[in-house]
Amino acid sequence: MSSPIFDAMAISASGMQTQGTRLRVISENIANAGTTGDTPGADPYQRQTISFKNELDRELGIRKVKVDSIDVDGKSDFQLRYEPDHPAADETGYVKYPNVSTLIEVMDSREAQRSYEANLGMIEQARTMALRTIDILRGA
Amino acid sequence: MTTQNLALFKAIGAKMDFLTQRQRVVAQNVSNADTPNYRPQDIKDVDFSKVLKKIDKSSNGIQQVSMASTNALHMPAPGDVNIDDPRKQKQTYEVAPEGNAVVIEEQLIKAGRTVMDYNLMTNLYQKNTGLIRTALGRAQ
Repeated sequence: MSSPIFDAMAISASGMQTQGTRLRVISENIANAGTTGDTPGADPYQRQTISFKNELDRELGIRKVKVDSIDVDGKSDFQLRYEPDHPAADETGYVKYPNVSTLIEVMDSREAQRSYEANLGMIEQARTMALRTIDILRGA
Repeated sequence: MTTQNLALFKAIGAKMDFLTQRQRVVAQNVSNADTPNYRPQDIKDVDFSKVLKKIDKSSNGIQQVSMASTNALHMPAPGDVNIDDPRKQKQTYEVAPEGNAVVIEEQLIKAGRTVMDYNLMTNLYQKNTGLIRTALGRAQ
């Protein structure tokens, strides 16, 4: 037995949690944007992607958002740069750099921030509603 | 006689119940703003003038007999205030390429309106208890 207001807060909290995980994945990508392999021709760091899913919380009977999976992005190609003196350079002199585009990652983090703030706003509004209900008691 | 038996308080209570349920649904939409293939939900509006009329009629002597639901598994009696009816929203502002149709702005407008309506209801409730208090001769 729980009130819809507190259900709303729990749902928003789950949204904030997943956006936090998303931000973690994004910062891992940005931090490793220059991580190459250490043997000639070795693959560098591969960009990670995160996806969400809608899941029923049986205890509370509400549909929360959860992290579905954190996968390796194998769709985009590595960037090749000509650096013959690099330890990871192959026989033609090219080094594989991660398939991380900082621009995309920054845009993603902005989106995560926006969603996080929206969830925070929903918690704030649910709180206002709960407080107004308590105010009825105070006025009586 | 408690305030719960007064028609107006009953209607205010029903509306507040509806608004908290709606807040829960909107919070769910916002937290799933980045979930692939998620369609936002909304709660069907309740015609409160009808509800009020029904309550009024029963308080005016023309007693209406309706079935009581004594078990959580009972179906609601026809004409009962059944508001927990979240359904898929048909028209949304836009659908993102991954199949998600939540627009945060749209949801926040809904949440804002819900909180404003809720404030209106709590204020009405307080005003009416004030009226009763005045009638009892304990003016504040």
